Amino acid sequence: MPFLLLFWEYFKIGLFTIGGGYAMLPMVKQVVLQHGWLDENQLISFIGISESTPGPFAINLATFVGMEVGRSQAEGAMGILLGFVGAAISTFAVVLPSLIIIIIVMRLFDKFNNNCYVQGALVGIRPVVVGLILSAVFTIGLAVFLPNLKFDNLSEESFSNFNWVSLLMFVGMFVLSRIKIEGKKMHPILLIVLSAVAGIIIFGVCGVTEGTV
Amino acid sequence: MKKVSLWQLFWTFFKIGAFTFGGGYAMISLLSEELVRKKQWITDADMLDMVVIAESTPGVIAINTATGVGFRKRGVIGSLLSTFAVVLPSYIIISVVYFVLTALEGNLWWESALKGINACVTVLVVNAFFKMAKQLPRNWFSAVMLLIAFAISTFLPSVNVILIILGGAAVGLIVALFKNNSAKKAAVNAADDGSEVEDKPSDKEE
Repeated sequence: MPFLLLFWEYFKIGLFTIGGGYAMLPMVKQVVLQHGWLDENQLISFIGISESTPGPFAINLATFVGMEVGRSQAEGAMGILLGFVGAAISTFAVVLPSLIIIIIVMRLFDKFNNNCYVQGALVGIRPVVVGLILSAVFTIGLAVFLPNLKFDNLSEESFSNFNWVSLLMFVGMFVLSRIKIEGKKMHPILLIVLSAVAGIIIFGVCGVTEGTV
Repeated sequence: MKKVSLWQLFWTFFKIGAFTFGGGYAMISLLSEELVRKKQWITDADMLDMVVIAESTPGVIAINTATGVGFRKRGVIGSLLSTFAVVLPSYIIISVVYFVLTALEGNLWWESALKGINACVTVLVVNAFFKMAKQLPRNWFSAVMLLIAFAISTFLPSVNVILIILGGAAVGLIVALFKNNSAKKAAVNAADDGSEVEDKPSDKEE
């Protein structure tokens, strides 16, 4: 019943995404790793591609995950067909909770908006969501630099295979992303294209292998 | 307020889904440009309401706005149709991209590019974190809640993220109840001794 599971997991993700697309990331990360739908590296690549293709980031990512789950169910043409089914399921499931809730809330807007308990719960949820994103940043970032690190199982092994080239690229891109030209920051898509080119030059042309320290 | 046909609703949100990148707050300015100024389907005040609802209900902001505008214009059918329309381009585009990517698997150049992109994704997520952190109220409550959530999620990765979010909601509710009670008590006290109305309902956290 992988499709049922996909629907249920994405329904829950849709239900608890409060504060926009990136708030979804910690949940998506936990779910896909737990069920073995993606590994950490695939997830990171999917995030990059979802960010640089049209459409809301979170929906793109949901479609991607559904596609991957569906396709892994069968070989060949059947797999492709199931990929489309999986993508439809995850996309539908992630949108469904907010669709229902918005329709209800639009009817009772003022009551909802001025309710001190709704507002109270949100005051508690907002910093928690930001904290969860920080944790996702931390673990995703470290997965790029330290591929063997697992926080629930720290050992000497965790710090082996330190990927210093990626760390340098991260620092470079971070600085680029903060620079403002005529009051405008660089568009994320441009940043992704630049880093892809940098990747091709560093790893492809120059043949740098990921450094071990 | 103009009458809008279902087809117009579909086509407008399909275009919004197809031509916006990233989502979230970047999309809000685009939505208001299209829906308030160009099409004049809703007013600025409606748009603000919409954003408030989108922010405080679950879901993706761009999708929630589509659902809300669709509902306001054409009821439940309208909201279903606009939601479908705004999601459809993602579905089509990602399906195509997915198969291109599968074909590229194992290609040295593409793998090299991906390594670069992966370092960049970390930058994007870091920046998303900064943006969201800036919008939090600056007080001890936010800081402590943020750090607790971070610590649980990082060092106890098996704890369900949804539970952590529900925990945050529970703490927020308790604080709201507590504030409500102390505000009521203060109001009663104030009614008793008359003068000290202003001082009493002071916030503990801020």
